[in-house]
Amino acid sequence: MKIKKILVANRGEIALRVLKTAREMDIKVVTIFAEDDKHLPHALFSDEAYSLGSGALSETYLNKKKIIDIAKKCGADAIHPGYGFLSENEEFARLVESAGIIFIGPTPESIVLMGDKIGSKKALEKINIPLTPGYHGDDQSDDNLAKEAKKIGYPVLIKASAGGGGKGMRIVHQDSELLESIRGAKSEGLKSFGSDKVLIEKYVQNPRHIEVQLMSDTHGNHLHFFERECSIQRRYQKVVEETPAPNMSQELRLQICETAVEIARGINYRGAGTVEFILSQDGKYYFMEMNTRLQVEHPVTEMVTGHDLVRYQIMVASGEKINLTQKDIKQKGSAIECRIYAEDPDNNFMPSIGHIERIETPTLRDVRLDCGFLDGTDVGVNYDPMLAKLIAWGETREIAIQKSISSLDDVLFLGVKTNRDFLKRILGHKDFVKGHTHTHFIPDHAESLKPKDLTIDDKAKLLATFILTGKMASTKASNASFTTPWTTLTGFRN
Amino acid sequence: MQALRLLGQLLLVLGINMKNILLDNESLNPTDLKNDGKTLSFTLEGKKFSFEVVTSGNGEVILQGVDGNRFKGFSTKPNREGDVKIIAAGLEGTLSSGAKKLKKSGAAAGSLTSPMPGKIFKIVASEGEKVVKGQTLLILEAMKMEHAIRSDKDGVVKKILFKVGELVQGGVTLIDVE
Repeated sequence: MKIKKILVANRGEIALRVLKTAREMDIKVVTIFAEDDKHLPHALFSDEAYSLGSGALSETYLNKKKIIDIAKKCGADAIHPGYGFLSENEEFARLVESAGIIFIGPTPESIVLMGDKIGSKKALEKINIPLTPGYHGDDQSDDNLAKEAKKIGYPVLIKASAGGGGKGMRIVHQDSELLESIRGAKSEGLKSFGSDKVLIEKYVQNPRHIEVQLMSDTHGNHLHFFERECSIQRRYQKVVEETPAPNMSQELRLQICETAVEIARGINYRGAGTVEFILSQDGKYYFMEMNTRLQVEHPVTEMVTGHDLVRYQIMVASGEKINLTQKDIKQKGSAIECRIYAEDPDNNFMPSIGHIERIETPTLRDVRLDCGFLDGTDVGVNYDPMLAKLIAWGETREIAIQKSISSLDDVLFLGVKTNRDFLKRILGHKDFVKGHTHTHFIPDHAESLKPKDLTIDDKAKLLATFILTGKMASTKASNASFTTPWTTLTGFRN
Repeated sequence: MQALRLLGQLLLVLGINMKNILLDNESLNPTDLKNDGKTLSFTLEGKKFSFEVVTSGNGEVILQGVDGNRFKGFSTKPNREGDVKIIAAGLEGTLSSGAKKLKKSGAAAGSLTSPMPGKIFKIVASEGEKVVKGQTLLILEAMKMEHAIRSDKDGVVKKILFKVGELVQGGVTLIDVE
């Protein structure tokens, strides 16, 4: 069935991302917004936009009934859930389909299977997918969990079974820390995901986070779009992602990608999905989880393979066949994504809020900014602190790194404390340049990633700007305007 | 009008407006400041600087140093406290000027402040309780994450200033420990 109108059940940059592809496919887009988001571009630039009112998330972006009612009322024939929010909510997928609307995502069965970190591993064990040693059982008593942790051997990782994004996760190094960590994981799991079930896993030292982009249609095609390296994380939140993974043999790369395809085939998957693996330093890899949705970091894959993943999602949802074979999909060059967060990396990554006065756009070739904010919009406490994603493609990894560093100075997010400078420090770090990535990169290099003190020349530049743009300059604004008419500059700002 | 402008420039030259410029809470004391709209010069920590104003307006400048290198500078409008956020040549700083006093870093000794805006999720300690350094006193929720506020010393909880569920701004005193 040809889709003519899509409701995007999300906000920010991902809502705009879906909108872009839909426009290219001549599909109308409906967006929804909470009242505190009404000035953001996703509430402004779609073909139709409807308010979800205000209140807790359960009243807005997580309100299944409200969203489906809007879709019915405006005649949307499909719903794209984006990532986060209801994207991996099985009940929502079911409700959408029973309302006669296409859910642009996997079947509810796949969501249930992969959303359950314990159940998914049991299912994958049967098709011989490598798993990390761990306890995924139903006996959730303290005594039993302690016994299992000992059996696996410390250090172990405690995770909320229904979790993701690092919420409800704890590393435990010894017996004495175990019970408090279990309690913490259970409480966060209950609050964030509505379930206090936890699992325990062997904790791999200095692992790499490697994931594989998958796309399956409903005609038996299960394709991979190669791997992404997402090891640069802080508190289990990804910060920098790239593809291809550096320092990886072609043989291992293909092996990991083919394992991921086996999973898609094994569970008869539909649509876009990502399988995440832990890769140990000695080249062993273990299935970690499968995300049954589009990932935040999907753009690096798009830049390197030249394929539009959202287009394929929409095609698959409308029952079309993806006319590609695996060998048609190739990696060309290298792409890096930097997540720009409203946070202070030099103060324990504390989230920041504020008024964005100016953003500006990247100027270099093959650099993309996926951003959910506009000049003059506010960053509040109610949502994820990610402001935008800067994605740079280069013929080589070195070029992609240099383009990213340069482009981070193009985008300002003036007015809000961001991690822009921290990202530059990561990208310029000698170990990152060498491709020595692992998930403890940020804590292990905490010292060498610290900001440098401003030099006297730096201070002078800031001071000069302050004097010429501040209150003191305002009395002489007319003076400046005849020196160089501001109008001649409007072109260059864009 | 011309007279006003001259007066303004005179004040600038004399550096009267330039007292207590703060950059990220550190005092800058530029001297010999001259600004004719085309060139800005000053001396900072004994080093002379001169910038040619290539263009300026609308919170944005392009400046050229004596080394010939150009850079862009941007500034926000001042906030209520008179702070201006600046990005220049990719560097960031918060600047303010005038009679403003040097801010103390953090609040009064003995008080624990909120590191960010958020909601009081849980209060673990109670008033009058003896606590040790590192003990969790209160849990703040922000951006859907929990952040523990821990005691920075051994002592007694003097006062808890908020209740569970209350919204707090960043930098606000939450608990006094003595």
